[in-house]
Amino acid sequence: MADLVLQLGLLAYEQAGRRLLDGVGLTLAPGEGVALVGTNGAGKTTLLRAAAGLLPAATGTIRATGLDPRTAPPAASARRRLYLEQQPSCAWDQTVAELGALAGRPAAWAEWADRLALTALADRPLASLSGGERQAAHLARVFASLEEPYGALLLLDEPTTALDQARRATVRQATRAWTQAGAAVLVATHDAAWAATFPRVVVLEEGRLIADGPPGATLTDALVRTVWGGPAA
Amino acid sequence: MRLGRGALVGSTALLGLLAGGALAVGTAGWGLGEGGALALLRFPRVLAAVAAGAALGIGGATQQGLFRNPLADPGLTGVFGGALLGMALLLGLAPTFAWAHAWSLPAAAFAGALGVSGLLVLLGRDGPPARLLLTGLGLNAFAAAGTLLIANLAPESRELLLNGSFGDWLGMASPELIARPALLCLLAGGLLLTLARPLDLLALGEAAAQTAGCDLRRLRRRAIILTALAAAAATCLVGQMAFVGLLAPHLARALVGPRHALVLPLAATLGAILLLTADTVGRAALPGTPLSAAAVMALIGAPLFVWIARRPHG
Repeated sequence: MADLVLQLGLLAYEQAGRRLLDGVGLTLAPGEGVALVGTNGAGKTTLLRAAAGLLPAATGTIRATGLDPRTAPPAASARRRLYLEQQPSCAWDQTVAELGALAGRPAAWAEWADRLALTALADRPLASLSGGERQAAHLARVFASLEEPYGALLLLDEPTTALDQARRATVRQATRAWTQAGAAVLVATHDAAWAATFPRVVVLEEGRLIADGPPGATLTDALVRTVWGGPAA
Repeated sequence: MRLGRGALVGSTALLGLLAGGALAVGTAGWGLGEGGALALLRFPRVLAAVAAGAALGIGGATQQGLFRNPLADPGLTGVFGGALLGMALLLGLAPTFAWAHAWSLPAAAFAGALGVSGLLVLLGRDGPPARLLLTGLGLNAFAAAGTLLIANLAPESRELLLNGSFGDWLGMASPELIARPALLCLLAGGLLLTLARPLDLLALGEAAAQTAGCDLRRLRRRAIILTALAAAAATCLVGQMAFVGLLAPHLARALVGPRHALVLPLAATLGAILLLTADTVGRAALPGTPLSAAAVMALIGAPLFVWIARRPHG
């Protein structure tokens, strides 16, 4: 168990009297890619935030890249545990290149800017971009921050919702490549087709983990109807 | 277009020129006086304006970065008001002690500024930009009322405190009065420069900054203490002064972009330029009827504040 990248045990979290996570247990080993699905309000974002160390009041076991992120100094695993929030933002209307500079790794940023078709937008203020371009810029910053994939943890909250087909394909390919290189990737998504490509799918409902296994077993017709209102594409 | 480090060099050179000009101009007109006597008399005032302006500029840039709020300014959010209230309390309760111990007034100003800063964080941090500003304005009004009350109860300090609340203390500048606060401005400014990288990360929001390695609690603690120190030291030199801490960071970001490694030092030099210009214009524009630096600054700053408030902010 020592080399697990993410270990959550009896994870619970309450906010304003409402139980957002209720006894969740989940482990990810190096090289595992997991899709996290569920209806709106099922607890996906809360689970990712807890794993990222953003909910100090969460109870239960949280070990991410060998540390409890609630108490470890933030700098201790900044390049080993990456988190992309659902609606990233940036103050002061920075340009794409200025956002990229925050990754602190110019060569990696240049590579990701190229792969996500951002190079030509480098001098454009973020506020002037489309929603998809902005999401791609934030993704590129997060991806460029990763130093060494093996044993790293990526927590991505609906990372492709606003992206066009080409950028979406790049992100899917990147998450596959990282798991092949030994990173653990946990992706919250409403994209049924993408979720079905992961070897493992975890389903949340009202803060509880109700299914965990290969997509054939977890993405049942009943679940697909509940979450997506129809058959998976 | 971003100017980069050239803006810092250019603004420092401009500040030097303006300081030279400020030494040569006064209510009596142009001239350095016999053997530079007039310039020597004006020197403490010019130095005080430069030190206070720099502290205000870098303090404003830090407060805006910390709250991710383009309208944050220690002058408007009550931190100066708190500093002045701290001084008023000491002057009201123990005037003999205050004047006998040179460090006591800056220390009282620091305590007052720190108290308001703490309340500002507790009450106004989360939520829309307007909440912080409204909380600050409320704290500022409360502190001003407290200062006026003490001024009425302590007649021997009344004129001093009223002049302070109108930002009109630069005229009292003497080597003895300004030495310690000017040193504190330098100290606070130098330490604030070390916050550039975490403030950059904080532009991404608290969650992204923390997961990118920024220790938010440590940053907040250091930024609040050092901004309060800068505001307290500046208040000791000039009294209450709004708008410098608001405008200098905006000008700096317009010139060099959002990186705090450049914004913080440039906001300091631009703050010094703004305050020195306001003071020089105030004492030279209308011979015989000098205007306080705060009044001149408000004439320039208020319309710009409205313009900034109406701009969209990313």
